[in-house]
Amino acid sequence: MGAIASIEQLGKYREQIKANVKEDLPTVLICFGTGCQANGARNVAEAFTKIIKDQGLNLDVNIGLKTTGCHGYCENGPLVALRPQGILYLKVKPDDVSEIVEKTIKAGEVVDRLIYKDKQTEKTIAKYREIPFYKHQQRIALRNIGNIDPTNIDDYILQGGYAGLAKVLKMEPDAIISEVEKSGLRGRGGGGFPTGVKWRSCKAVPSDTRYVICNGDEGDPGAFMDRSIMEGDPHAVIEGMIIGAIAVGAHQGYIYVRDEYPLAVKNLAIAIKSAREKGFLGKNILGSSFAFDIKISRGGGAFVCGESSALMRSVEGKVGEPRAKYIRSVEKGLYDEPTVLNNVETWANVPEIIVKGADWYASLGTKGSKGTKVFSLVGKVNNTGLVEVPMGISIRKLVEEIGGGVLSGKRFKAVQTGGPSGGCIPERLSDLPIDFDSLTDAGSMMGSGGIIVMDEETCMVDVAKYFIGFLVGESCGKCTPCRDGLRRMLDVLIEITEGRGKETDVAVLEELCDVLTWGALCGLGTSAANPVLSTIKYFREEYDAHINDKQCPAGVCKALITYSIDAEACTGCTLCAKKCPQKCITGERKKTHVIDTEQCIKCGVCKDVCNFNAVRVA
Amino acid sequence: MIEVKKVDAIINRYEKSEESLLAILQDFQREFHYVPEEGMQRLSEVMNVSESKIYAMGTFYKTLSLTPRGKHTIKVCTGTACHLKGANQILETLERGLKIRRNSTTKDLNFTLECVNCVGACAMAPVTVVDEDYYGQTRASKVMDVLKKYK
Amino acid sequence: MEKLKVIIDGRECEAIKDQCVLDVARENGIPIPALCYNPEVKTSGGSCRVCLVEAHQGGWMRLVTSCNYPVRKGLEIKTNTDLVHKIRRGVLELLRARVPDSDVIKKLALEEGITEPRFKKDEGEDNRYKCIACALCAQVCEEVVGVSAISMQNRGADKQPGTPYHKPSNVCIGCGACVYVCPTNAISMKETGDIRRIWSRDFKMAKCSMCSKPYIPEAQIDWIVKTTGKARAFFDKCPDHR
Repeated sequence: MGAIASIEQLGKYREQIKANVKEDLPTVLICFGTGCQANGARNVAEAFTKIIKDQGLNLDVNIGLKTTGCHGYCENGPLVALRPQGILYLKVKPDDVSEIVEKTIKAGEVVDRLIYKDKQTEKTIAKYREIPFYKHQQRIALRNIGNIDPTNIDDYILQGGYAGLAKVLKMEPDAIISEVEKSGLRGRGGGGFPTGVKWRSCKAVPSDTRYVICNGDEGDPGAFMDRSIMEGDPHAVIEGMIIGAIAVGAHQGYIYVRDEYPLAVKNLAIAIKSAREKGFLGKNILGSSFAFDIKISRGGGAFVCGESSALMRSVEGKVGEPRAKYIRSVEKGLYDEPTVLNNVETWANVPEIIVKGADWYASLGTKGSKGTKVFSLVGKVNNTGLVEVPMGISIRKLVEEIGGGVLSGKRFKAVQTGGPSGGCIPERLSDLPIDFDSLTDAGSMMGSGGIIVMDEETCMVDVAKYFIGFLVGESCGKCTPCRDGLRRMLDVLIEITEGRGKETDVAVLEELCDVLTWGALCGLGTSAANPVLSTIKYFREEYDAHINDKQCPAGVCKALITYSIDAEACTGCTLCAKKCPQKCITGERKKTHVIDTEQCIKCGVCKDVCNFNAVRVA
Repeated sequence: MIEVKKVDAIINRYEKSEESLLAILQDFQREFHYVPEEGMQRLSEVMNVSESKIYAMGTFYKTLSLTPRGKHTIKVCTGTACHLKGANQILETLERGLKIRRNSTTKDLNFTLECVNCVGACAMAPVTVVDEDYYGQTRASKVMDVLKKYK
Repeated sequence: MEKLKVIIDGRECEAIKDQCVLDVARENGIPIPALCYNPEVKTSGGSCRVCLVEAHQGGWMRLVTSCNYPVRKGLEIKTNTDLVHKIRRGVLELLRARVPDSDVIKKLALEEGITEPRFKKDEGEDNRYKCIACALCAQVCEEVVGVSAISMQNRGADKQPGTPYHKPSNVCIGCGACVYVCPTNAISMKETGDIRRIWSRDFKMAKCSMCSKPYIPEAQIDWIVKTTGKARAFFDKCPDHR
């Protein structure tokens, strides 16, 4: 069918789709996010398609088959969810498919070996909603992901999609902005700026042309929530942007997507095309007189392009350097016109806020941080993946209850939040609620929501070195503090981790941090000090051990550690000797092996292959 | 020799606006495994943008390369989660195994080894991407085996 | 042109709305060091960070680059505080280590008490090692000259100006505006007889009909004639003899 020409028609269209969907149809939902695809989801999908064909089953009559976006529980993929029971199968292989069809689809039974099993209690849970990872979540930005085929606009409409758009077409722009202000929504990309206030400032600037932009650059390493939303529910972003455009009076929008997310680009392009076909984008949106369209702009591998003024230069077809002049983008942004730039997750929340109301959204979260936040819980934690929870949850609850605790029973040491602009928060402060202000007060920041869990085998000096190294490679080079200050900091950190640290080093690092914080041109530079200052603040003893004692307590910094084989644990299987690239491990079969520490390059391969945990690092 | 026809075909996929510059350069990169001088010159003519500005873009954006990359690109993700879970070990194993340093190409032009800052598959750290194939939970001891099928 | 008053170091100064703090300060005899700013080049400034000063407004304070911070009502500027000097010192120390041979930077650093930087000095032959990557050269080439022969290449510490592939550029007119604006004399321009060599290209210079001195590249005359319609004959004499 062609474009939907009015709000009433949209309602009727939705009813029509509903009527065509068979209630309780046994449906297989295969996660097709980047993670599950990496683990072989395509093969699983092919196996289902083949079986359906071979058994003469009728699609949408006997069985439903959908590919969906990222569920967030990537380590356990390929993930296959089953309706109507709400069962989730983990690590599904093509060979499992026939059993799933026979037992679950036809007989309604659970295939025990494929369901979640608690690593500690061994308890099994079949229902997706009861698995600890999902139980504590409240999915608003992620509301549709895993439930819909992101390339099918009808799935989105069926879930209530574009009802927000229909509602705002009957509202005054000021009323739309007030609703967003009342909700308390703050930018989800890292800045935490009140979204409604941003929209209001933009609207107040007199101009015939203005723009709305979606920042899909997601440069923080360790964060993949935006990827999941762009891949898994692109229409949520599009609808949010249309609502924002109507509110501020923009007729052109851009979605800037990182080049490293090809599937997100693909699914967004499909979604934009179908939105145009249905009349949600283009001239006369839903029969109104409002015109708005969206272009996709691809990034080129530059973290600095996540900074709003740099992103706008990149969209314009230039080098992505931030603007030095003190002009706000809401006044002069893209092409020097008033521009609203918001993050993917921020836009995805907007339709729900309109449909369910600001009061509902403001009832969630904390006083200063309303609503929910999607976190990417990764690192040394048992259940890694994306979780969406109300703001205010404690770090400890996130790591222990939802995350299932630290991997391999090791000691929980710290979490790093906020990416390269954030800092480390030690375990002893993990009862802190996660919200914008409490994280900033502790010396870190919310950032885009990356929560990296660190254990006793994580060296905090190495972590600081890692982040500064990352920023050195990403600095645009325009201003002295960042371009030259960061690399001098990296030199000092390298000296420390290689056993050549000096007493004056920490003071030099702190001085350079000041130069960056006060003197840098953009947010990349002004927040670059955080990873260093927070690790110095909370883990000073580790810096001292490296500098004064030439030791790395966590056993990470190569120059300060030695690899050896524990005679008691070694079985003489010779595997390490075979794999050692330096051929510096000697020993006879069934006798204890020995590493020649003079030749050892500490590559870690022996530790990696040893099945008896016999390699020691100290 | 870079065919002008191919270059023009790529340029013509897009709107004639400076906004398309980066996307066109990305497409050159995908087609030719690098951004050729002839491509940038032609783009400069067609878009009426100075060659120096386009060249600057070629050197600024890390997904673009001005020198030919290998037939297969190995991207070791060095995002935070991957770093903590041993990305460095994987990188070093590959450097030793391929006998090249990171950000370089093997003599036979088969492989280019690169670090990438985050591919967004953090829950499966450490991640290695070869061409369009993603490998999660990579192990240093097995990574060279993964490369065997890429000739 | 809306006039207003700003307080700089306790002194009330007259200013025009949106004028930059640096210009207002200098007009009032208050010196603020700066490297990457040139009032003739609108896109310049904000790069070296040497001109940072304290800006106090509406209850908050931050350091801003005075070369591009616009004066507004209620703004108070302090150019001489401990914080300003601390950060300026940090910036100059970094620049001293980046371009150890620059006399301009040596002098500015000395004024902040720095003789030698604590960091290992960058050393090398090409112009990257004399350059503070302020982009004035590329900016003047694009904005004032209009040929955009050079651009800022690479990112981070390797950022440096140049022609594509560092090959001779056929849009460069050899005018030397880039050399003229460079704060650290990092761009090489050599003249031998009637040939000027700049950015790896040799330019034949036209001679003055009065004093026979080669004074302007032919390519530059071509460009000016093309873009302004000025008569070629105008360039027969050098500025001294016109």
